[in-house]
Amino acid sequence: MHNELVTLINSKVGGANATTSVGEAGDASITVEGAKLYAVCEMLKNDPTYSFNVLQVITGTDFKDYIEVAYIMASFDPAKNYELILKVKLDRNNPEVESVCNLWKAANFLERETYDMLGVIFKNHPDFRRILCPEDWTGFPLRKDYVVQEVYNGMVVNPEHKMNIPDREFNAKQKAAEKAAAAASGAAPAQE
Amino acid sequence: MQDGVVLMKLDEFFNWGRKNSLWPMTFGLACCAIEMMATGAAKYDLERFGCGAFMATPRRADLMIVAGTVTLKMATRVKMLYEQMAEPKYVISMGSCANKGGPYWQHGYHVLKGVDEVVPVDVYVPGCPPRPEALIEGLLTLQKKIANERLLRNKWVKHA
Repeated sequence: MHNELVTLINSKVGGANATTSVGEAGDASITVEGAKLYAVCEMLKNDPTYSFNVLQVITGTDFKDYIEVAYIMASFDPAKNYELILKVKLDRNNPEVESVCNLWKAANFLERETYDMLGVIFKNHPDFRRILCPEDWTGFPLRKDYVVQEVYNGMVVNPEHKMNIPDREFNAKQKAAEKAAAAASGAAPAQE
Repeated sequence: MQDGVVLMKLDEFFNWGRKNSLWPMTFGLACCAIEMMATGAAKYDLERFGCGAFMATPRRADLMIVAGTVTLKMATRVKMLYEQMAEPKYVISMGSCANKGGPYWQHGYHVLKGVDEVVPVDVYVPGCPPRPEALIEGLLTLQKKIANERLLRNKWVKHA
């Protein structure tokens, strides 16, 4: 199915530059250019052969060099029953992509969540703001370089007296004590 | 006439009344709230201890059972609800999350590390989530604490 879809996308949408990952590890997917995402989605939804009428998931991943946004769409027509993972790779410093809310209403909350967690900007979204974190939160938690803010609204996020910092690594204190004991018992015979 | 007169200390009388009619607030945050509901339902029957009347508004409640994960977003609301309750008021922190952040204490960017950062807690109930018996024991502990209060020396009078 994926190879036919790649040919279809490339013939219908100019510059979409679709490639597929069939034959590689994991679920097969199709990657397209970010600028052409809306046109590709519109074509896939309205195509009579496939007609992807349901958008199931929008999610994203931070790969440090780029941000990848994945759209999982499906066709619930019993005669078709297709499912497709469509991916776009975005610039990490300025991740922008066209919103698909006009095509699938389900995209509204999913795009807001992707923005909340990764900072991807969805252009022409009808109600574009954070969904899970508070409105005045700073940073995007699922980015690899995310640093937790120290104080939020006067509340210390990681109070030192509660963090048990000496034992932060699993059994760190116990291992250090064992090491010290081993060193002491090793040194004791040498002194005798 | 003698049968109609009861003599007791005012402290004991007030404490007896308060500890046997603790009305909790209808207020659950996460999975601990499921156990709290089970405690309030027929099998464990919180009403036996005078604690079954879950009030739908903080203004009628005496007890706040913080049942579940307190996120930073929720913490400001929890504090506001506590301030809306009429005195005397008590707080039970139920479960690991409300006690100290629970499984989120090390890497949870969004979780308050213990509800005692924003409201004063009277009794901590450990568990993840605590069984209904544990919550009932926490309630009985709170009742023992209330029974030892002194009317003119308690914290409500001091700060009035």
